[in-house]
Amino acid sequence: MQRRAAFDNLWLAGALIAPQLLLVLVFFYWPTVQALYWAFSTQPPFGGANQWVGWQNFEQIFSDSVYWNSVRVSIIFAILSTSLSIATALLMALMVDRQLAGHRVYRFIYFWPYAIAAPAVGLAFRFIFAPDAGFVSAVNQFAPNLWNPALKGWDAMILIVIANSWKMAAYNFIFFLAALQAIPRTLIEAAAMDGSGVLRRARDVQIPLLQPTLFFLLVINITESFVDSFGIVDITTGGGPARATDLMVFKIYSDGFKGLDYSMAAAQSIVLMLLVVALTFIQFRYVERRVHYA
Amino acid sequence: MIERSPLLDALTHALMIVGLIVTAFPIYVVFIASTHDLPSVNQVPMSLIPGNHLVENYAKVWSKSDFGAKMLNSLIVAVGVTVGKVILAAISAFSIVFFRYRLRMVFFWMIFITLMLPLEVRIVPTYAVAADVAEPLRWLVWLFGIELALPPVNLLNSYTGLILPLIATATGTFLYRQFFLTIPDSLVEAAKMDGAGPVRFFIEHLLPLSRNNMAALATIMFVYAWNQYLWPLLITTEQSMATATMQLQKIVPGPLFGQPPIWNEAMAATLMVMVPPLLVVIFMQHYFVRGLIASDK
Amino acid sequence: MQIRPFAAAFLAASTFLGGHAAQAQERQKFEFWYGLTGRLGEIMEEHCKRFNESQTKYEAKCVGQGGYDKAEQNTIAAFRSKQHPTLVQIYDAGTVNFMLSGATYNAPQLAKDFNMKIDWSAYFPGIANYYATSKGEMWSFPYNSSSALLYWNKDAWAKIGKSKAPETVEEWFDDLRAMKKAGVECGFAFDYDTWMPLEQFSAIHNIPIATKNNGYDGLDAEMVFNKTKFADYMKDWKKLLDEGVARIQTAQTGKTILQAFTDGTCASMLSSVANHGVVGSTAKADLKWGVAKLPVYKDFKRHNSLVGGASLWVLQGKSKGEYEAAAAYIQFLLQPKEEQWFADVTGYIPVTKTGFKAMVDGGFYADPKRAGRELAIESLTFTPPTAVSRGIRLGNFTQIRAEIRAELEAAFTGKKDMQAALDEAVARSNQILRRFEQTFKGKQLP
Repeated sequence: MQRRAAFDNLWLAGALIAPQLLLVLVFFYWPTVQALYWAFSTQPPFGGANQWVGWQNFEQIFSDSVYWNSVRVSIIFAILSTSLSIATALLMALMVDRQLAGHRVYRFIYFWPYAIAAPAVGLAFRFIFAPDAGFVSAVNQFAPNLWNPALKGWDAMILIVIANSWKMAAYNFIFFLAALQAIPRTLIEAAAMDGSGVLRRARDVQIPLLQPTLFFLLVINITESFVDSFGIVDITTGGGPARATDLMVFKIYSDGFKGLDYSMAAAQSIVLMLLVVALTFIQFRYVERRVHYA
Repeated sequence: MIERSPLLDALTHALMIVGLIVTAFPIYVVFIASTHDLPSVNQVPMSLIPGNHLVENYAKVWSKSDFGAKMLNSLIVAVGVTVGKVILAAISAFSIVFFRYRLRMVFFWMIFITLMLPLEVRIVPTYAVAADVAEPLRWLVWLFGIELALPPVNLLNSYTGLILPLIATATGTFLYRQFFLTIPDSLVEAAKMDGAGPVRFFIEHLLPLSRNNMAALATIMFVYAWNQYLWPLLITTEQSMATATMQLQKIVPGPLFGQPPIWNEAMAATLMVMVPPLLVVIFMQHYFVRGLIASDK
Repeated sequence: MQIRPFAAAFLAASTFLGGHAAQAQERQKFEFWYGLTGRLGEIMEEHCKRFNESQTKYEAKCVGQGGYDKAEQNTIAAFRSKQHPTLVQIYDAGTVNFMLSGATYNAPQLAKDFNMKIDWSAYFPGIANYYATSKGEMWSFPYNSSSALLYWNKDAWAKIGKSKAPETVEEWFDDLRAMKKAGVECGFAFDYDTWMPLEQFSAIHNIPIATKNNGYDGLDAEMVFNKTKFADYMKDWKKLLDEGVARIQTAQTGKTILQAFTDGTCASMLSSVANHGVVGSTAKADLKWGVAKLPVYKDFKRHNSLVGGASLWVLQGKSKGEYEAAAAYIQFLLQPKEEQWFADVTGYIPVTKTGFKAMVDGGFYADPKRAGRELAIESLTFTPPTAVSRGIRLGNFTQIRAEIRAELEAAFTGKKDMQAALDEAVARSNQILRRFEQTFKGKQLP
């Protein structure tokens, strides 16, 4: 996985990476280290007298069944929405890449969802899927209570998965398409000459060459569904019903931002971060091994 | 491609049309909502036929929110973030992938971990940094035992303050890394044979190859920066620095007592704010077209 | 040479603008952050504009923060970096945080330092007591205020031959059941919000939510609402739900209680008086509706209801000039003319007796559009506030509301028995209170 051929100019290497490192240090690590300190103390909202409490905040969250519930629903959400959005985006990109008539229109429209701000996505989906008002209300007239995200936890979960995937699929689509278009034409034509059909070529030529992109999107999607799903949950379900969609990041935001318990939110953030880092590490360790770069 | 597979083509078209409907329907609903007046938008279920208040709603929102000036601010911020990100991410990934030094994996992970903790959950300490960027530096120098009186540097209500924290993320670096790793070693060797140093290799070989990825990243970053609202809401108090999406947040009503939801106007604003990112997409699509790049090698 | 006239015009314009700007700069500015959004946010802007146009000495710079919670959070973040505004609008649930913050320039002190003419006794006691310290001083200035009412559909009640709103809870429930028989599909719409069933209900029944007089007497208060009449009330609601008499209506089901009421689907709801105007403007054309004071269980004597909304806090660390300007702004808001304008455009109630009297005398409530809004004042002032009907002073109340809400969701959707859910809600709320106590160790409620 690591390159053989490389340059040795250390000063240049340092100069190239320095600006990014500096930004990250100032705007990420400095604030995060402060949050880390909060996680081990009790921090009054307006600042002032912190008290060091050691592991107490962590003990409290780990002994809380509601917290474990939010870990559980976050994992379910991440798995469902990552697989749904990657699968649909890959399918769409492969189809658009065939350049049949009208592919420019499809290509253009498929990206739209990503251009809409998250709160608006949430609103549109809440509206469409509302059992009394939206367009699924017709379904409910045939089979009452078949669908009700306001009362049924699983329905609410499905709702946020669909809303999130709808948006993320557009994001994934762009990267898949970019990567597909970068595959040398000659390669595909050669395969076609050998008599392999569209599906064979997708399986044997295109998807293997997409592996680095696929890996990139897998990591990004899993990470984003853990850390960046706040907007959609806030507008569509508000974490309910009865905590069925109380994702970790939503809980952090409500405890910290709305409830002003900075220390508890900081402790939860640290746990969330460690969890995502661990997941990413596993992906790098076990999935990336199978990725073929050049 | 000269080959025939009518059945598969038909299936492809069918699937793409389904995809089109699934993609476009929610947007259509938003559009329809923006064409009605308040009573009919609140009707349950709302009519799916456009109403006749389109011009009225859009004109009202435009003038009420002073979107002209705010879109200009958004544009400056989004372009700043996009350009900054595309460049910084490229050079940092170049350093990590093509140079041999021990710390490169450490640096990569240091940058990479920033993906794991969103701005939302560290917003209070991040605000403190924006209010005085010199603080971390002061601390750093103090660690090295130097007493230095740095004056406070305040980034609130400035483009710099709006842009820099949004650049401090890892998406771009990671994307370039993924792409750079696919560059065959032979290419680097060949360039070196030609006597190209790292800078020339980067500019003459790597950048032209990265065109697709750069276009994708630029598009994504533009939209990402354009849609930010939490951060701008926090650090701008001057109306002259307000951005379009943060204005949108003020129009879309929160769950408060006695809050009449003016959905038609909110949806009109949503669509208006969506236009510039879409224009960027149209413009960027040009770079996704095959044939201009590595394909014919 | 065509450029000349333009250049001249430009020069003239810039001199003019420059002169204008210089003049404006002489005004003493101050910053005001507010949390309201949507139409109400626009009204905040208008109120500032009215102030700026009413005089030439001061200028209010009003900045919307995109929500009550964001206004509170952003103010705190700004205060920690000394970039905060002079004046900020903070919702009822944030009162305790600000009282304990040590960051505030308290109302009585400001009034004294800047010779403000404020008649503290003119505030409605129901409002004053809610925001007051144990010594009876208000540290913030009540601003947008409301209270709760029963909204009822007169046509639906006519079907059972009644033309008066129910007074007691028992009567109300009987009416709902009778209406069901008479063909009214949904008699009552409710959501999971705690403000109506828990906070307002407990106040008008004069029953505690927590020990230590709902927290006013100390940070070591403990929740008790699982053992009061409130528990019975919730069990009764659950019964109504199971019988098909009542329905849950939230944004997630597609219609909020407000929409379900205004389109005639559900015959009654409990809501804030601040919604009076909205109901009027969005109700379907032939809907005959009215408001009434919240129903009370017949074994209980009715007490005053609670105030909701937000108050204005002045923060420390600003210049004398800014305080003077902020004081002038507050003084401006308290003029009867302004109180009436604000009440008219929003639906909020006036905060002072003088403002209210001026409005009654001026025929404000005689307008059929506003008929019934005065009931909110009647409800708020029904009795002098008692030790538990005056309000709630519990730490991190926003989080507590969220916990209770989640447990009510579990009970109403049938996942849990109501009593078990309420017991759990109490246990979890107590945890939050203990945490708050620990975070503010050594501090006393003023």
